[in-house]
Amino acid sequence: MSIRCVVVTPERTELDREAEFVALPMYDGELGVQPGRAPIIGRLGYGVLRLQTNAGPQRYFVDGGFAQVESDVVNVLTARAIAVDSLQADEAAQALSEALELPSNTPELAKIKETAVLRARGQLRAAR
Amino acid sequence: MANARALDKRRKSIRNIRKITRTMELIATARYKKAMDRAAAATAYTDQITKIVKQLADAGTDVQHPLLEQRDNINSSRVLVLASNRGLCGGYNASILRTAMPHIRSLNEEMESVSIDASGKRGVNGLKFRGIDADQQFLQFEDQPAYAEVEKIAEAYLKQYITGQIDRLDVVYTKFISTSKQIAVVETLLPIGSLADESDDAVDDSVGAGNAHSQYEFLPSAESILEEVVPTSFKVKLFKCFLDAAVSEQVARMIAMKGATESAGDMIKQLSMTYNRARQSQITGEIMEIIGGVEALEG
Repeated sequence: MSIRCVVVTPERTELDREAEFVALPMYDGELGVQPGRAPIIGRLGYGVLRLQTNAGPQRYFVDGGFAQVESDVVNVLTARAIAVDSLQADEAAQALSEALELPSNTPELAKIKETAVLRARGQLRAAR
Repeated sequence: MANARALDKRRKSIRNIRKITRTMELIATARYKKAMDRAAAATAYTDQITKIVKQLADAGTDVQHPLLEQRDNINSSRVLVLASNRGLCGGYNASILRTAMPHIRSLNEEMESVSIDASGKRGVNGLKFRGIDADQQFLQFEDQPAYAEVEKIAEAYLKQYITGQIDRLDVVYTKFISTSKQIAVVETLLPIGSLADESDDAVDDSVGAGNAHSQYEFLPSAESILEEVVPTSFKVKLFKCFLDAAVSEQVARMIAMKGATESAGDMIKQLSMTYNRARQSQITGEIMEIIGGVEALEG
């Protein structure tokens, strides 16, 4: 038994392969998916997508988006999916410091800042 | 009759031009194919988003979001004009500007502040010539617009819209319908209006038929997902506009260059004929002179 994991970005289909186990970085924590999972639609956070495949584990940083699980197919919709190895820790650290500098004097601006900080933190954690 | 040598020179230069236009045609064809593939890849993403929206609606979620609602008072508006960086693509840029100008004028009459953004050197210069200075200029987009770049622009617009700096965003771009038909259109992207787009019906049917029984669990909640779907679908829509514009530009260039190559061929044929006639008459003239000279000597 295996699950098919499909990662789609607006530019191309980044990944389409079989895996034994998939861990999705959800908005509020990690969610593991094994074959036979009941259908869900979930909101992704900024974190690491982990796949357990025959060829060994694989890790990708996903930049928000959605996940849809149905009949042993995991569809991940995200703006970007980057293999963790090619992430730059110093770039992520810089993004975080920039995000922390953003203004937050109105509720709308505060929300925008929060998203930017969350994203940068996720990226930094994945890069380490 | 014209000078044979001058005609030959002209024919040579036209031959060189034909070489250039033919090469440009081939390049445009290759780029068009690449751009088409990218546009097709983006469709996979939009289809999935549409499916999710459909599932949300099926689950009885009230599809409401500030980005979806028309504001009562529209005071300021932004127009993004997508043109190309390079010329030699027939009527592509002209038709964009021809669509954009009346729209901008009517917006100027309706509301106090209208700002214009332009993508592509041709768009910026064309607007300047018509007396409009582009507020923001995007010159980095070629035949393969990157999502990361478009996303930045989209986020800036979302920020302006949410904080109330703008009440409306229109995009003027060339919509790709088929290889033989592209039209310049004005589309209102903010407020989004509806999450569903034209290609929905086909997708909806297949979803409805296949997964009629599946009950989705929403994590963390349907509302939270909706909150994220709406801005994402705006970004993807904007990206789609850029992709369509890129594909249309390459098609326009391909067709324009094809026409240029053909006309150069015709011109060369015409010139060859004139050149041969000129040469023939020159030779005849020379023979007549020689015969005349010989006759004069004999006489």
